[in-house]
Amino acid sequence: MTTYLLRRLLGAIPLVLGIATIVFFVVNLAPGDPTQLLIAPGMRPEVVEQMRANFGLDQPVHIRYLKWLGALVQGDFGYSFSHSRPVASVIASVLPNTLLLSAAALGVAFLVGILLGIVQAVRQYSLLDSALSVVALFFYSMPSFWLALMLILVFALYARNYWDWPIWFPASGPSSVDYDFLSLTGKVRDRAYHMALPVASLSLVLAAGIARYMRGSMLEVVRQDYVRTARAKGLSEGAVVFKHALRNALIPVITLLGLYLPVLFSGTVFIETVFAWPGMGKTIVDAIGTRDYPLVMAVSFIFAAMVVVGNLVADVLYAVVDPRIRYE
Amino acid sequence: MSELEGQGALPLPAEGPPVVPAAAVPPRRQRGGPVLSALLPGLPQVLAGRWGAGGTALGVWAGLLWTAAEGWERVVRSPWAGTDDRVALATLVVGLLGAWLWSMEDVRRPVDVTFVGIGQWALAARAFSRNRLAVAGAMAILAFYLVALLTPFLAPYDPAAQGDLITERLVGPLAAHPLGTDHFARDVLSRLLYGARVSLSIGFIAVGISVTIGTLLGAVSGFLGGAWDSVVMRFVDMVISFPRLVLLITIIALFEPSIFLIITVLGLTQWPGTTRIVRGEVLSLREREFIQAARAMGFSRGRIVLRHLVPNTLAPVIVAATLGIGNTIVLEAGLSFLGLGVQPPTASWGTMVADGRNHLIDAWWVATFPGLAIVLTVLSFNLVGDGLRDALDPRLRT
Amino acid sequence: MNSSFRRAAAPLLVIPLVACGGEDREAGGAGSDVADFCRTALARVDSFMSTREGETTAPEDERYGGTVVVGSIGEIADGMNGLVSSDYTASQHQSFVNLMTLIGYDEDYLPIPYLAESWEVDDPDRPTVLTFHLRDDVYWHDGEKTDAYDVAFTWERVTDPETAFPNAAFWDFYVKGPEGVEVVDSFTVSIRLEPHAEYLDAWRTTTIMPEHLLGDVPPSELKQHPYGTQCPVGNGPFVFVSHRPQESWTFRANPAFPEGLGGRPYLDRYVYRIIPEQTTLLADLLTESIDVYIVPRPDQVEQIERSPDVELRHFLFRNYVFVGWNQRKPQLADARVRRAITVGTNRQQIVEALLQGHGRVANSGVPPFHWAFNETLVDSLAYDPDEARRLLDDAGWIDRNGDGVRENADGLPLEFSIKYNTGNQQRQDIAEIMQAQLAQVGMRVQPQVVEWSTLLDQINTPSRRDFDGVVMGWVTEFKVDDADLFHSDRLDAPYQWAGTENPRIDRLLDTLQLVVDRDKALPLWREYQRLIMEEQPYTYFFFPERLDAVNKRVRDVQMDVRGEWINIKDWWIPAEERRGSRRASGR
Repeated sequence: MTTYLLRRLLGAIPLVLGIATIVFFVVNLAPGDPTQLLIAPGMRPEVVEQMRANFGLDQPVHIRYLKWLGALVQGDFGYSFSHSRPVASVIASVLPNTLLLSAAALGVAFLVGILLGIVQAVRQYSLLDSALSVVALFFYSMPSFWLALMLILVFALYARNYWDWPIWFPASGPSSVDYDFLSLTGKVRDRAYHMALPVASLSLVLAAGIARYMRGSMLEVVRQDYVRTARAKGLSEGAVVFKHALRNALIPVITLLGLYLPVLFSGTVFIETVFAWPGMGKTIVDAIGTRDYPLVMAVSFIFAAMVVVGNLVADVLYAVVDPRIRYE
Repeated sequence: MSELEGQGALPLPAEGPPVVPAAAVPPRRQRGGPVLSALLPGLPQVLAGRWGAGGTALGVWAGLLWTAAEGWERVVRSPWAGTDDRVALATLVVGLLGAWLWSMEDVRRPVDVTFVGIGQWALAARAFSRNRLAVAGAMAILAFYLVALLTPFLAPYDPAAQGDLITERLVGPLAAHPLGTDHFARDVLSRLLYGARVSLSIGFIAVGISVTIGTLLGAVSGFLGGAWDSVVMRFVDMVISFPRLVLLITIIALFEPSIFLIITVLGLTQWPGTTRIVRGEVLSLREREFIQAARAMGFSRGRIVLRHLVPNTLAPVIVAATLGIGNTIVLEAGLSFLGLGVQPPTASWGTMVADGRNHLIDAWWVATFPGLAIVLTVLSFNLVGDGLRDALDPRLRT
Repeated sequence: MNSSFRRAAAPLLVIPLVACGGEDREAGGAGSDVADFCRTALARVDSFMSTREGETTAPEDERYGGTVVVGSIGEIADGMNGLVSSDYTASQHQSFVNLMTLIGYDEDYLPIPYLAESWEVDDPDRPTVLTFHLRDDVYWHDGEKTDAYDVAFTWERVTDPETAFPNAAFWDFYVKGPEGVEVVDSFTVSIRLEPHAEYLDAWRTTTIMPEHLLGDVPPSELKQHPYGTQCPVGNGPFVFVSHRPQESWTFRANPAFPEGLGGRPYLDRYVYRIIPEQTTLLADLLTESIDVYIVPRPDQVEQIERSPDVELRHFLFRNYVFVGWNQRKPQLADARVRRAITVGTNRQQIVEALLQGHGRVANSGVPPFHWAFNETLVDSLAYDPDEARRLLDDAGWIDRNGDGVRENADGLPLEFSIKYNTGNQQRQDIAEIMQAQLAQVGMRVQPQVVEWSTLLDQINTPSRRDFDGVVMGWVTEFKVDDADLFHSDRLDAPYQWAGTENPRIDRLLDTLQLVVDRDKALPLWREYQRLIMEEQPYTYFFFPERLDAVNKRVRDVQMDVRGEWINIKDWWIPAEERRGSRRASGR
C-alpha cells in the first residue's frame, strides 16, 4: 500500500512541475505587462521603465523563470502587483473562501446525486425514473453561470422586491455589511444565507452528473448474483439496497471525485464572478485582467496542484477499496 | 466471421438474405402510399408508426415551406445577397428535395428493413432508433442546424440593428419582438438565431479538431508503446489535470480574443480525453488476431493504424465527440460571458447572457432566453450522445 | 511640459480586485522586520491616541458620534502611500481622510491653506521660489510633529526617478531633487521652480509623508512596503484602524487634529466598504446598511430617487469620454472626415440613453468647471447627418459603387474600426451606437473589443499605433495640459494617439504652460478650444456627471468636482439616527 502511495506521489511531482512551467511561459510570453495599467497621460516613459524595474520585469524571461521556480520551491510566491501584498497573503485570504464553497458544493452534489441515483435505480423504468432522468439531463446541460443568474433572479431579486417572500437570499457577496457585529449564531446564519445560492448553482449541475453515474452503477450492481441471493434469503429491500448493493455501487462513484475536481474549480470561476465571492476563481480572473503575473501564476499553480492532489486522493481511496488496483 | 466484417481487413462477402432479428417491427400499412407522400412527405411513415424518420421528413418539409413562405422576399433576393443567404437558399432547396425524395423512395420499399445486417453499425443503428429520447435529440439537433443555416430567412431583424434607443430599449416579449429587446433596442430573437450559428459552428469545428488530433495521437501512442507512449501519456496527464477553464481564460485574455483563437484553443485543450480513450482501445485491440494477421501480412504500420485500428476505435470516440460538442458549447458560452469570446456586435449566447445580467431585475428576458437556448441545444447533444453510447455499448463489450 | 492629467481612471475604478480576508493588521509575508515595522508603528499610534483621548474632554456638541459606511466597488489598491499610488479613491483618502496636503481648493477652485498656513512667492509675475509656512500644531498619529523635514523628504522622494512617482510630470518645471528644496526652519520650507502656469496645483494632491517612518526605505521599495496597505500612519482627521483586504478600510476620529482646522471630526468612525457587485450595493444602500454609494449605475438612479431616505448627488466631474482618431490612417487624415463623424453621431441622444441625461456633451478636453471653459462652443457640432454628408462629399468621399459605403478617388472605402476594452459596458455601447449611426451617412464602422493591457500596448507604442479609433476615458486635473496628446514634439511619445501636427496648436500649447497670469491666458484658452473643434483630433463625447447616493441622515456632505470626501471631517449624523450603540463601540 505504501509503495503504491509513494509511487503515485513521486509521479505527481514532475506533473506539478510541468504544469508550473507551462503556466509560467503562457503568462509571461503574452503581450502587455502590469505597468501598462498604471500609465497615465503625462507619465514619462522613464517613470514606467522605473516601475518595471521595481517590479523586476526588466530581466530576461529565462532568468525570471529560474528565479520564480527557485522561490516557488521554497514556498515564496512573490509579490502581487495589483494587491500590493505578498501573493501568499492574498492566497491565504481567498483560498478558504473557495474551499468553503467547493467543499459545500461537493458535499451537496454527492449527497443529492447519490440519493437520486439510488432512487432511480430502485425504481428503474418507472415514470419517476424517466422524469428524474430528463430533469437530471436538463441540469447537466445547463451552464452554471446561467443557472446562477436564474437563481438570483428568482430567489434574490424577485423574491425580495416583487413577490415579498418571507425568505430570500442575498444576490452577491460572502457576508453582510454588519457581519462583524453579529453574534456567533448570527454570523453562521449570515454565511449560510450568502452561500445558499452559489452552492446551489455549483452543486445542481454536478449532482445531475453524479446521479446519472450512480444510477448506472447501482443498476449494474443490482443485477449481480449476490444481490439476488440477498433478496432470495428474504432480506428487506432496504437492507438489500443499503447494506449490500450500495457499498459496491459507490466504488466507481468515488472515481468521480477525481474527475469532477477540475470541473468544480472551473465552475467556481463563473460562480465567484457572478456572486462576487472573493475566492480563487475571481482572483485569477481579476489578476489576468491586471496582468498581475505573480498572482496569476500562483493561483494557476495551486489550482492544478489541488487537482493533482484530488486525483491522488481518489486513486488512493480506490486502492483502499479495491485491492486489485494496488498490485498492478 | 462477424468480427471481421466492416473492418476492412478482408473483403466482405456479399450480403445474403437479410437477417431480421426477432424483435423486428411488424410490416406496416401504407396509407395512401405514394400520393400522400408526394404532397406531405413523411406523413405516411408517421401514420404507420415510424414517427422518428417520418416525423423528421415531415418536419423538414413543413418547416422549410413555412420558412420560404414567411421570408419570401428574402428568399427571392438571396442569390444576390451574399454568401450567408446563398447558403440558406441551398439549404432550403436541398432540404426540400431531400425530404421529398427520401419519402418517395421509402414508400416504395415493401418491408421495413431499414437497417439491414448484423454488423456493428447496423445493430447500433437499430438500437438507437428504438431509443425515443435519443431520436428526439437527433431530430432537435437537425432542427437546430437547419435553423442556423436558414437564419437569413428566419430572423425578423438584423441582429446588430438598433431601434430607437429611448423607446425601444428593454421592451418585453411582444408581437413585434417575440422575445423582447435588449438594452440596445436590438431584437433578442434575431440575435438568438445568429448566436446559434456561432455556437453550433464553434462547437463542431473545435471538437472536430480535438477528435482528429486525439484519435491519431492516441492510436499511434497506443500502437507504438514504449518510451513514446510514456511521454505522451505524461503530457496528457498534465493537460488533463490542469483546470481547463483557467488555461483557456489565461490564454485568450492575454492574447486577443477572436473566433480563430477561441476555436484553436478549445480544440487544442480537449484532445487529451480522446487520446486516453483511443489509446485504451488500441491497447486492447493491439493483441487481437486480426492485427497480428495484418502485421504478419506485412502491412506498414501507418496503414495498420489508419485502416485497421482507428476505425475500430471510432465507437467510443463518436460518443465522446457528441458529448464534447455539448460541453464545448457551454464552454464557449462561458468564455463569452466573461468577455473573452466572440466580439460584439456579433451575437453569441454567452455575451447575451452577460448583457442581460446588468438588467436582470427589470428585463429578465435578455438573459433568460439565450440560456434556455444553450440548455436545449446541449441537452439534445447529450441525449444523442447517451443514445449512441447505449446503442454502441454492447458492441464494445466483445 | 508640466502636465497634470490623471490617468484614465474609469477602467481602473471598475476593475474589482477581490480576495476576502481575515484581519490583516499584522504585516503578512516575508521578513520579520517588516512585521515589526507595522507592529511598532501601530502600537505607538495606539498609545498616543489613548493619551490624547485621556487628556481632552469630549466636546459638548451633540453632533459628535456615529459611524458612516461608504460603499464602492473598488479597492484602494495602493493604500495610503501618496508616493506610489495614483488612483482617484486612494488620492481622496490620502488627501482628506488619513493624511494632509499643503493646500486645498475652495468652492471656486482657488487655493486655501491646509497643512500650510500660508505661502508666498518671490515674484508673483515670475515666481522662482515658493515658500510654505506650515502649521505647528499638526501631529502624526504616533505623536511626532509634522514639520518641514517631512515636506523635504516628500519632495526628495517624489522627484526621485527611482520612486516612480506616478505624477512625476507635476515637477517638470520645478528644480528636482535635494537642490530644489530648502528647509528654512522647522516649519518653513522653500521650493525652487521655473515660472509656469498653475504652479500651485501640484500641491493640492501631493500628500506629505512621514519622514521618520519612511525615511530609511529605499525609493524603489516604497511600493511594496507594508506602510501603504497595512499600517499607514497619517496626520489627517482620521486614524487608520484596520484594513481587511478586498473588504473594508476602517478609520476612527483623530482627537489631536488641530483646533484651527476644526478639531476632532464629528464622526467617531468611518468605514470604506468594498462590495464588488452593484446590485448588492444598491440593495445595501436602500436597506441603510451603507450610507453612501459611490457611483451607482445610471439605470439604478430611478430607484435611488424613489427612495425617501436617500438622495442622489450629481455633479459634473473631471472625467470625459472620447473616441480618439488615428490621423495617420488615410481614411481619418482629413479633418473634415473627423468633423463629419462627430456631427454624424447623435451625442446628445447618447447622453440621454447611456447616462439617463446625467452628463454634458463635450467638445474639447477643457471641462465646464475650468475657469477658461468656452461657453460659446457648447452647441457646436450638434447632430446633423446632412452636414455630415456634405462634409464628406466636400472631402471627396462619395459612394461610387452603390454599396452604401463611401470611397475616395482611389477607391479606398471609408471603413475603420473603433477599439474599446473588455469589461467596459459604456465604451462598448458607444462603439456600437456609432456603428449604427455612421452607417447612415455612408461609413462602415467595426467595433473591436481588445483586452485592456493589450489595447494599451497597441495604442501607446509609437511604432505600432495599431488602431483607427479608440474609445477612451480621461480624468483631468484642475490644470489642463493637452501637450502630451496633441503637441507635435510628442509624436514619438506614447500619448500622441491622434498624430496631430498643427503648428498653431503647438504654439498655443507651449504658451499656455508658461503664462502665469490668468487674464492673459484666457484668450489663448478660448483660441485653443476653437482650434481643437476645427481640428477634431478626437470626437469628444461627454463629461458624465458623477453620481453618488447619500443617505439623508448624514448631514453636511459636500460633494463636487473636488471630490466626494472633501469635507468628511465635517460630516455628522444626528444622535437619534445613528446606528445602534453596538456599532459605535468596539473595534
